[in-house]
Amino acid sequence: MTFEPGDNVRVLPSEKPGHVRTPGYLKGKAGWIESLVGEFPNPEELAYGFSGKPERPLYRVGFRQADLWDDYEGPAEDCLYADVYEHWLEPGEGAPT
Amino acid sequence: MGGVHDMGGSPGGPIDRGQHEVEDWERLADAINAALGGKGLQTTDQHRRAIESLEEYRDLSYYERWVAATEKLLVEKGVLTSDEIDERAASIRRHWGEP
Amino acid sequence: MSGHHQHERAGRTTSPYAARIRAIEALLLEKGVLTEPEVQDSISYMEARSPANGAKLVARAWMDGRFEELLLSDAKAAALQLGMEPEHPAEFIVVKNTPGVHNLIVCTLCSCYPRAILGRPPDWYKSFEYRSRAVREPRAVMREFGFEPPEDVEVIVHDSTADVRYMVLPLRPLGTEDMREDELVELVTRDSLVGVNVPRS
Repeated sequence: MTFEPGDNVRVLPSEKPGHVRTPGYLKGKAGWIESLVGEFPNPEELAYGFSGKPERPLYRVGFRQADLWDDYEGPAEDCLYADVYEHWLEPGEGAPT
Repeated sequence: MGGVHDMGGSPGGPIDRGQHEVEDWERLADAINAALGGKGLQTTDQHRRAIESLEEYRDLSYYERWVAATEKLLVEKGVLTSDEIDERAASIRRHWGEP
Repeated sequence: MSGHHQHERAGRTTSPYAARIRAIEALLLEKGVLTEPEVQDSISYMEARSPANGAKLVARAWMDGRFEELLLSDAKAAALQLGMEPEHPAEFIVVKNTPGVHNLIVCTLCSCYPRAILGRPPDWYKSFEYRSRAVREPRAVMREFGFEPPEDVEVIVHDSTADVRYMVLPLRPLGTEDMREDELVELVTRDSLVGVNVPRS
């Protein structure tokens, strides 16, 4: 596993075409690893009939809402968690732990 | 940005909290989809991919998208052909007394 | 999407897709790809699921601290313990509301929902409006459902983007200390299991 809970990460700003499970609004955004969910076949390959092996680590990644939306209405503590595959993450800096 | 389905954060109006009664054909769409999955003929991600690639995504209801996607996958895999589905669907509609 | 929905006519919908799925069913049965019992089992499977399952899990957790611990650490095991069949292979995670934290579930990319436990998601959960707005303006969305978390409560939105299905363990309403488990079950609404609202009190 590349990342540990508490690690700062950034979601890759990739525009990889095809079926991906990383939503556009998270691309390029900084957050932190909340936990490891487990390892799963890669959905980007499963979607086209391939095995998806080897399985990829899937993390619950936390983001501060204020880092996602310039106009966020709500306290600074509000956050968002999403499930992101490891190959969509790179080490980040500056996100809270 | 991603496809038409990738809508998190897009502007939107008030949420309609009304609930329609689930219709038999919607139950069937759900069931066929699950049964094909159980047989290993379809994965969740294949179905998601097929739904996302529907040109009429925004114009179809939820289970209409499911049916269109299931059809697309069955044709893609060579299990059924579009022609035989068209033909049978037309015959069913005639039987229902629809044009 | 809702509002656009096709209505039944003489017991059959007018959607062309109703005929197409019947056609697909007939052809799959004729070719032996699926059998009648497989289709029926599949229909029964989903009909047997409803938010009542979620309410049972929540009420038991409110009554029993050890069950709550299990529900939060291994929700599938907790569901099995109450005789439910959690989804395979998707993970099932229950997130806990506290006096300081309120959780809200959405799936922006499709409409992932713990169907194996709660059954089909409601129409609003699948609506483009909910999927678009819940991540960006969760507080405004909850206000539409009649709930306004205080400013000092942290709102956590969970976008179930991949292989996890989420359910909320809501806060037990005040003044329910003397209630029996079967009475508590009645307080737990589907909306409170998604987090757009809180249980009845």
